[in-house]
Amino acid sequence: MPGTREIQEIEIIIEDIGGGGGTAPPAGGDGGDGDKDRGRRPEPPSARRYYTAIALAIVSILVFFMALASAFLVRETANDWIPVHLPAVIWVNTIVLMASSATMELARKRLARGDAVGFRTLWQVTTALGIFFLAGQLVAWRELIAQGVYVASNPASSFFYIFTAAHGLHVLGGVCALLYVLLRAFEKTSLSRALAAEVTSFYWHFMDGLWIFLLALLHLGK
Amino acid sequence: MATYNSATNAPEEPPKGLLRRHVLFRTDHKTIGLRYLWLALLSVFVGMILSLVMRIQLVWPGVAMPLFSGFGSTPERYAALTLLHGSLMVLMVLTAAPQAGFGNYLLPIQIGARDMAFPTLNMLAFWTTVTSLIGITTSFFFRPNAGITVWAAGVALFCAAALANALNFSVTVMDLRTRGMTLPRLPLTVWAWFINALLGMLIFSILLAACVYLLADRVLGTHFFSSAAFLSSAPQYPQEHGLPAVWQRLFWFFAQAQVYVAMLPCFGITAHLLSTFSRKPVLAHRAVVLALCAVGLFGFCVWGQHMFAIGMNPYSPLAFSLLASALGLPASILLMSWLGTLWNGKIHLTTAMLFALGFVSLFLAGGISGLFLAQHDLTRAADGDDFIIGHFHLVMGVAATFALLGALFFWFPKMFGCRLDEGLGKIHFWLTFAGVYCVFMPMHWLGLIPHLRVSPDSPLVAAVAADSAIRSFVTVATLVTIASQAIFVVNLVWSLLGREQAEAENPWRATTLEWSLPSPPRLENFVAAEPAVYRGAYEFGVPGLVEDFLPQHLPSTAPELRAQPQRGGGESVAPARQAAEAS
Repeated sequence: MPGTREIQEIEIIIEDIGGGGGTAPPAGGDGGDGDKDRGRRPEPPSARRYYTAIALAIVSILVFFMALASAFLVRETANDWIPVHLPAVIWVNTIVLMASSATMELARKRLARGDAVGFRTLWQVTTALGIFFLAGQLVAWRELIAQGVYVASNPASSFFYIFTAAHGLHVLGGVCALLYVLLRAFEKTSLSRALAAEVTSFYWHFMDGLWIFLLALLHLGK
Repeated sequence: MATYNSATNAPEEPPKGLLRRHVLFRTDHKTIGLRYLWLALLSVFVGMILSLVMRIQLVWPGVAMPLFSGFGSTPERYAALTLLHGSLMVLMVLTAAPQAGFGNYLLPIQIGARDMAFPTLNMLAFWTTVTSLIGITTSFFFRPNAGITVWAAGVALFCAAALANALNFSVTVMDLRTRGMTLPRLPLTVWAWFINALLGMLIFSILLAACVYLLADRVLGTHFFSSAAFLSSAPQYPQEHGLPAVWQRLFWFFAQAQVYVAMLPCFGITAHLLSTFSRKPVLAHRAVVLALCAVGLFGFCVWGQHMFAIGMNPYSPLAFSLLASALGLPASILLMSWLGTLWNGKIHLTTAMLFALGFVSLFLAGGISGLFLAQHDLTRAADGDDFIIGHFHLVMGVAATFALLGALFFWFPKMFGCRLDEGLGKIHFWLTFAGVYCVFMPMHWLGLIPHLRVSPDSPLVAAVAADSAIRSFVTVATLVTIASQAIFVVNLVWSLLGREQAEAENPWRATTLEWSLPSPPRLENFVAAEPAVYRGAYEFGVPGLVEDFLPQHLPSTAPELRAQPQRGGGESVAPARQAAEAS
């Protein structure tokens, strides 16, 4: 097929003129993730990696908790299972966590409007609510211990402690991210505060939803 | 056009503080990749010595071995030996070396990036891996009960490190590709690392969850995997209680896919080497990429294949059998592509090429015995015997090692600026190649003989006895094979000590981006300018050029490509390459 090569190479050279950093130039549509990138608002590649990373991390954490939950579903069918009465403070904690997601969105709206002071205040409230949630989970543990329900008492209580501990550690990581967004001097870096806040918010809302799922599992499970 | 000089791949800010600047905390992907490789080299030798100890113990149980006699020869010790051999080889060698080792070193320079997406995370993952190696190894020196707890903690740490690595790899491939490096133009090695990272991100999460439960059971006294009643009364039919199955499911969900995590990068490396050394484009490039995806996908779904013997829903073995057999499809596509690439190629039998061919041979041999194991009724009979050991070591352990050695011989000039000695390398290859077949083929027969219905006084029965001639032969073959690795060590040390003259940039006349860099590459790889990529990764055998290949980073009009400004015809352009280019 003489001649074919020539045409192809001309095409390729034209493609390269349109190519953007890191992104695949539109090579006639390979499909895959190249298409998704194009639909998104143009971010420089150095920023886009944070979105990709948080999306993948969320998938990975989700799989981790699904594996934990699958063992719960199998284990609760055994005959040594004694259900745990969830302490009432758990419901307060749940509301606190959901409220923190709401204040976080409000804070990000302020930041988008350029209201740095309002953002700081609301972001501080969000952080405080996050810490409040963690403290509340500890109170829940203390209540259970006061009732004589320990980690090793029963499979059901073991699952309660493990789920809350694993989720709490992830929330603790989220609180660290919140503090980072609050305290970091972003002026010196290529990373903007809005971007850091957005990526943190994805994670935080995910933690929120994950907690609802775990709570439903613990509450509705046998 | 994004700003390459400022922020794209450069680290956010210069390292500051003693901690950041210390040599141990270097975040350069090449340094970290090499460290993973040294770690794997250390582990592979420890693991080999352990396997030798086991073989000697099996055949000559009375022999006193230096160093090991101090531990006392209880059955627990032997089990600990097996555990340590397995975890070192599977985690530190087969998982860490092809992905974290070669991947870290080569992935950024093959896609034209300055470093991984998150260099600090990369460095932390490496040191977590080292900690986990220390944990796993020291578990051997504790009493068995405490030892297993330490081991599980070590494995949990390894999971964390593997997850961080997988995240880093996938983000790097998705977002840090250079201008023009479209997905179809990625080298197959990069594809394999990418798919592997996605798979690893899923399965190491599951193993981490299993480790959390296991550690809670051992440290906090919970009963996730065993009910108290079950332990005290030891019921006759453990399946009915279903509790051990919880662990088995979580574990095999990880462990079956883990086989493919070890193999996927090796598929990529093999395809890359075969194409380079037969001077032909990879046959059916796109089908190979799809096959790699399919291996990852099916591999994630066949966990139940290992649990035929525990008693499961009668329909599920059928489903798992079908899925496991379906893995034969992508495997055949890969094999066809490798053989088709070799067909009519101008084959250069370098040591790297020999190891790649060795991989193909071992993969074929192991793959055929694997077809037997995908049948659930056969597997139930063969569960845990020599056939499985032979199959698994041939395909996973040895084949992957061959791909690793091939990769080392191939990329050694890039990493260290000198070649490994070809003569010593070939002697090493042939001894190892013959050796591993002598070790693992008889194991297949040993596994099959007990299932033949022969009379008890038949000579075949004597052949499987513990002190039979076949078993002694296997042990002697192990000894010889391990001894011949000394040639490799000599070769490695000699080449590293004796290097003084700089190796050419591109000694193998390969096409991918790393060969456009000096050997070894500088700190931030592409210092002067970010490379642009003009074509797919396997443009070999192109007529009308000074050389017979088109590197990815040169435009077709580059003066160094052509003696006279005349374009060649397209006779030898393979359809696969056209597909990759035209799309």
